[in-house]
Amino acid sequence: MKKLGFVVVAVLVAALVLPVLTPSAQAEGEPFRVAVVMPSTVNDLAFSQSIYDALVAIQEERGEENFQIDYSENLFVVEDAATALRDYAAEGYDLVIAHGSQYGSSLEEIAPEFPDTAFAWGTTVNTFQDEGITNVYAYEARSEQGAFVQGVMAGMLTKSNVIGVIGPIETGDAKLYVDGFSAGVAYQNPDAEVLVNYIQSFSDVALAAAAAEAMLDEGADILTGTAQMVPGAVNKAKEAGALWFGTQADQASLAPEIVVASQVYDWTVALNPIIEDIEAGEINGEAFSLTLENGGLNIVFNEDFELDEAVMARAEEIMDAIVNGDISFEIDDEGNLSVIEAETESEG
Amino acid sequence: MTESSTLLPTGQRRIDHLEMRGIVKRFPGVLAADHVDFDVKAGEVHALLGENGAGKSTLMKILYGLYAPNEGEIYINGKKVEIHSPADAIANGIGMVHQHFMLVPTLTVAENVALGLKSSREPMLDLDVVSERIVTLAERYGLQVDPSAPVWQLAVGERQRVEIIKALYRGAALLILDEPTAVLTPQEVDDLFGTLRQMLDEGHGIIFISHKLHEVLAISNRITVLRDGRRVGTIPAEGATKPQLARMMVGREVILQYEKVDMPHGEALLRLEGVHAHSDRGTEALRGVTLEVRAGEILGLAGVSGNGQRELAEAIFGLRPITAGKVFLDGREITGKSPALLNKLGMSYIPEERMVDAVVKDFTVAENLMLQDHVNPPYAVGKIFLNPRAIAQHCAEMIRSFNIRTPSQETPIKSLSGGNIQKLVLARELAREPRVLIAAQPTRGVDIGATEYIHQRLLEQRAKGTATLLISEDLDEILALSDRIAVIYEGEIVGVVDRADADVETLGLMMAGAKRQGEQVAEAV
Amino acid sequence: MIDVIKALLTVSALASGIRLATPYLYAAIGETYGQRSGVLNLGVEGVMLMGAFTSFWAVNRFTPEGATTYEPTALLIGVLVALAVGFVMGLATAFINVTLQAEQGISGIGIYLFGLGMSDLLFQRLFQGVETVNGFPKIYIPGLSDIPVVGELLFRQNLLVYIAFALVPITWFVMNKTTLGLKIRAVGQNPEAADTMGISVVKVRYFTVTLGSMLAAVAGASLSIAEHNVYFYNMTAGMGFIAVALVYFGSWRARGVMFGALLFSLVTAIQLRASTLGIGIPDEYLRMTPYLLTIIALVFASQRIDQPAALTKPFERGE
Repeated sequence: MKKLGFVVVAVLVAALVLPVLTPSAQAEGEPFRVAVVMPSTVNDLAFSQSIYDALVAIQEERGEENFQIDYSENLFVVEDAATALRDYAAEGYDLVIAHGSQYGSSLEEIAPEFPDTAFAWGTTVNTFQDEGITNVYAYEARSEQGAFVQGVMAGMLTKSNVIGVIGPIETGDAKLYVDGFSAGVAYQNPDAEVLVNYIQSFSDVALAAAAAEAMLDEGADILTGTAQMVPGAVNKAKEAGALWFGTQADQASLAPEIVVASQVYDWTVALNPIIEDIEAGEINGEAFSLTLENGGLNIVFNEDFELDEAVMARAEEIMDAIVNGDISFEIDDEGNLSVIEAETESEG
Repeated sequence: MTESSTLLPTGQRRIDHLEMRGIVKRFPGVLAADHVDFDVKAGEVHALLGENGAGKSTLMKILYGLYAPNEGEIYINGKKVEIHSPADAIANGIGMVHQHFMLVPTLTVAENVALGLKSSREPMLDLDVVSERIVTLAERYGLQVDPSAPVWQLAVGERQRVEIIKALYRGAALLILDEPTAVLTPQEVDDLFGTLRQMLDEGHGIIFISHKLHEVLAISNRITVLRDGRRVGTIPAEGATKPQLARMMVGREVILQYEKVDMPHGEALLRLEGVHAHSDRGTEALRGVTLEVRAGEILGLAGVSGNGQRELAEAIFGLRPITAGKVFLDGREITGKSPALLNKLGMSYIPEERMVDAVVKDFTVAENLMLQDHVNPPYAVGKIFLNPRAIAQHCAEMIRSFNIRTPSQETPIKSLSGGNIQKLVLARELAREPRVLIAAQPTRGVDIGATEYIHQRLLEQRAKGTATLLISEDLDEILALSDRIAVIYEGEIVGVVDRADADVETLGLMMAGAKRQGEQVAEAV
Repeated sequence: MIDVIKALLTVSALASGIRLATPYLYAAIGETYGQRSGVLNLGVEGVMLMGAFTSFWAVNRFTPEGATTYEPTALLIGVLVALAVGFVMGLATAFINVTLQAEQGISGIGIYLFGLGMSDLLFQRLFQGVETVNGFPKIYIPGLSDIPVVGELLFRQNLLVYIAFALVPITWFVMNKTTLGLKIRAVGQNPEAADTMGISVVKVRYFTVTLGSMLAAVAGASLSIAEHNVYFYNMTAGMGFIAVALVYFGSWRARGVMFGALLFSLVTAIQLRASTLGIGIPDEYLRMTPYLLTIIALVFASQRIDQPAALTKPFERGE
């Protein structure tokens, strides 16, 4: 009896210790395992879907047997997300992605506890390098770039010279998009008025709809918005016959007749180099940005929408300017955006 | 159809004979009804007498379909009936006026009466039709009530009339009245008896539950006494005496008249000057109460329930803000002082809701006995650490001297009987040798044995020179113990009379609001 | 200042407020039935979500592929499916609260979480992404809809809006003029008394809770297949809880509930306009106003005699 007890204890101890001893480097034949924690759902047609789509694209390229994806959705509450992040790390995932700027402080705590696990945090540029943490990658979308292009198009297309922009809360990716779009409108059409409303909610479809109504009421003939509650606004735009610009994912399917274009994120641009680092055993905690230049951002024009050629041409011109660096953007410490034009282009 | 189909003047079928045979009802740990036989005939009042917990209400709740009996059968006019719900009871012609009125206060009288009945215009209400019938019934039986008045506006006596109308409206041939007089003034009791006699003449049967011996003797034809769930006996009311009934109820001789020592007129230890206070609902509950209670005297405060008694006790003891007026304890103003300070100054309080306000249900007997004194030496060392030995000693003494029946000091108080809990509260409060005692409904829900004991202790306290304010809705208790009697009505003291000058008639009128200005009352009588 | 007020109080702002009020009306009136009989159902939000999703699914499923306009049969099926889901969830709620006598404040949260999770799970299983449907069209009531201001406000709405407002007088009538209403009121105020009068407290409560749940499900449907024609995760965003508060706000009366719903919605609509026009107050503060207003109103409403005395108290015969 006593002997049996000893065996049991020994097995338990082994079970506890062995995983710790297992090297984190990628073993031959084992699939690459990635886990992502996100605030919304994988089919929200917005922020959360964008990262999921990218992972699926990578999976398709590498084959399902070589690349395993696990995710936790709807973790808008940071405490819940932190639990999930810790669990994934403890289970030995090769890459744990915290897909939401609000997860930062949790990650700062968790990452040092799992020095052999690679984390990625978006959207941000902060990799906690200053805190001496080296296993956190950062990724962000310079969504103001595509937003600026769309703003320029909106500035050309508007007849009423009133354009509405709906955001969730004034921070992060949403603020970049809203500011970039506003700047684009102002750049193209200084007479146009841009109405901005942050409705303080990521999910309240009724609120987004009511905000859209308020803007249409003010004479807006073009609307755009960011975050997952915007379908309510798209519906109102459709009813009123106003145009819509999408972002984060291709939203043409919501209302083919009014969506002009969508800015689409392709996170594979950031994820691929991170995965390669991990496979090479060289986790270094770099920061990646999606830009028009590196192909992480794409303006997808709605095929069902007949876009004036002049507008299309202007959009391409602006995109080139951004890629060339003739137009660039700077975000100060307070998060305010300013547009910088290179001297050579100033007469154009 | 045999002769049992005889109809009452109101058109209902008469219940010539209702019998309950061998009724057994078990509750966890208690045998509430132990093979009880009971019967009632048309045109008679059969009283059901017994102490609290004797099984009277249980038996009647079985008859009304609220409880399912474990054994036993019910026969109406010789035919066995099954009563599984109040709806069954009503269908069989049985009506019940509960001790705690079963009325919906926010609804009108007519709505209360119509409740649950088929309307003549289903699915719509027919309150006009109902009101008309209420008026007819009210006139016939002397039950004056306004069908359109919301029940919350009615006085207690009126509410009872609504309850009786409700039962009659539903075709009750047999009416069960559970402690119907407990909340009434003596005049209202007379009116009620008038109504009941009218019903009897028509051939209704009545079951009258009470623990007041003189009322039972006044109205009943037969009396059945229950004790501990068993039927002690059934006797004709004619020829029965109070001591005989009391003996049957308690199982031993009971003192119904107390010996009182003559006490000299002491000085006023408790004095109230124009005290005002609000009720929980924010209405004016006390409107300038002025009173004094002297050393060595019991001042009885009589009144119908809900006229400010509770608020008065709480206001004196610092549990309810006094909005105007002053309170003095032995000449020192104590208006708005905390209960803790009042305790220290020699005031004790026996609250009305003892399970809520006097004890902590889940605490043990010992803990409850030490609720106030646990921070004082010798029960606490340095005001912080409890001294278990001193506490145990003190508790043992109180349990012994107050005859508290408990398995041990460590028994949770909620498993004690009402009488023993009240004795515990009394022990705790009297052990402090108070100079002023506020006793609110000290014997409500307490059995006769314990009541007798508590009364003796209150009189003992009086002999020691304590000034006692005895608040009670039981006029018999007030009359038995008080030296002077004050009557409260709608938050005002209607008058104060010496016990020697007090009679039930006069007090009853005062309880109904008549000012005691000699002639006026006399005229009204 | 006057210009600002003028700009905020436009006909369209008011119309927007009326439309926003619709889901609150369904949910709060349904909740009124339950609370009047003494049952607090905090699970309204969960039922709304289930109603929103299932009706959306049904309309999506029964609208022919590629249809460009609404399909009456699909819409009817959508509403029926919501009603059926509300019925089942209502029975479950009643079973938990009435039969099992659960703590109503807690059990409601459970129902909410179930609805939240279940609606999302089904959505993920049955849809690839956010989609739209052709929902209830606006019905212009002939003649009336041409009246200036009033016509636009009241007579150019979708069918579910009209029904929601029709429920107000209907509910008043049921509560005050029918034997059923009398039973409901009595059971909520004094179930023991109702029981002694031969009324089945349990049956009445099952009925009101189930009816309330069905209306809550329609509240959800009014969002997903009438007003916004889209469904996604947690799209009710707390409306069900506001609806419960509105019942207190409206003192358990349909008319009061309607005023509460309109006030809350109008303030929301006006606040959104204020925030769009930028009157200089940060969005965060503006966004609080409807909630603040509700809290203030609730504080003043707290001591009402109309409150069903037996609210949240389970009934058991004989103690």
